[in-house]
Amino acid sequence: MAAEIQKKLQKELDVFNSLQKEYHKAVAQKQQLDGQLNENKAVKEELMLLKKDSEVYKLIGPVLVKQDLEDARQNVAKRMEYISKEIKRADGHISALENKQEAIQENVNKLKNDLGNLKIGA
Amino acid sequence: MATVSTAPAPGMHQIDLSKLNLNQLAQLKQQLDQELNVFQDSLQTLKIAQRKFVESGESVEKIKPETKGRSIMVPLTGSMYVPGTIADTDNVIIDVGTGYYAQKDIEGAKDYFKRKVKFVTEQMEKIQVLGIEKTKVREAICMMIEMKLQAQAQAQKASTSS
Repeated sequence: MAAEIQKKLQKELDVFNSLQKEYHKAVAQKQQLDGQLNENKAVKEELMLLKKDSEVYKLIGPVLVKQDLEDARQNVAKRMEYISKEIKRADGHISALENKQEAIQENVNKLKNDLGNLKIGA
Repeated sequence: MATVSTAPAPGMHQIDLSKLNLNQLAQLKQQLDQELNVFQDSLQTLKIAQRKFVESGESVEKIKPETKGRSIMVPLTGSMYVPGTIADTDNVIIDVGTGYYAQKDIEGAKDYFKRKVKFVTEQMEKIQVLGIEKTKVREAICMMIEMKLQAQAQAQKASTSS
């Protein structure tokens, strides 16, 4: 009986560990997205500050290509929208993982309790 | 740009440390250690960014109307230079991030770097304040762990001697 519970516990713990790994990865990804969003925000502010006739260039590979200021603004806005969507998705993913982790934690605790009770009984 | 965001809500920070057991305390300490590490890393990155902006600002200061036509060595790679002359002393092109470069006049460029330095410095100050707070909490947790350990040792002693 005890061996069976032990086996179950080990299985749950394995799942928990892999979940935790995934969770860390998701959090890191979200942080990266946050950083990107912040950078784009700063760029947007900067582009807004520019005078209408200022020249704007975009780095494509190693060359600077001249761009229309209005195009650049729209492009950055679009990118921010996209990143915001991605962040929302990442948030959902993270909270789902959190829920899963909690559920497994509960299972683990229960199994540990069972095991403890068994030992006391024996 | 790293704007700081800490995950736990400020409202739910009231935890009575003495009510936690050793395991929980150790876990909390580990978490704080991790956070403090992140802060250290961010500070380092910000410091580098700050220095870059300051350096660029200083470079802009050196471009004056009199420098027009003066020859300079332009770095093509880190170790190769070609001679060039300054044709335009009124405008510079600035990397504003995410691959965009904007042309600005000298005054605008100075202003840009000043603003950036200010922004980065502010972020650094914010992180420092947060770091000090976390360090304090960490110390409190360490003390609590110490106390609990001592209490545990004493209890053990009492039970073995009786």
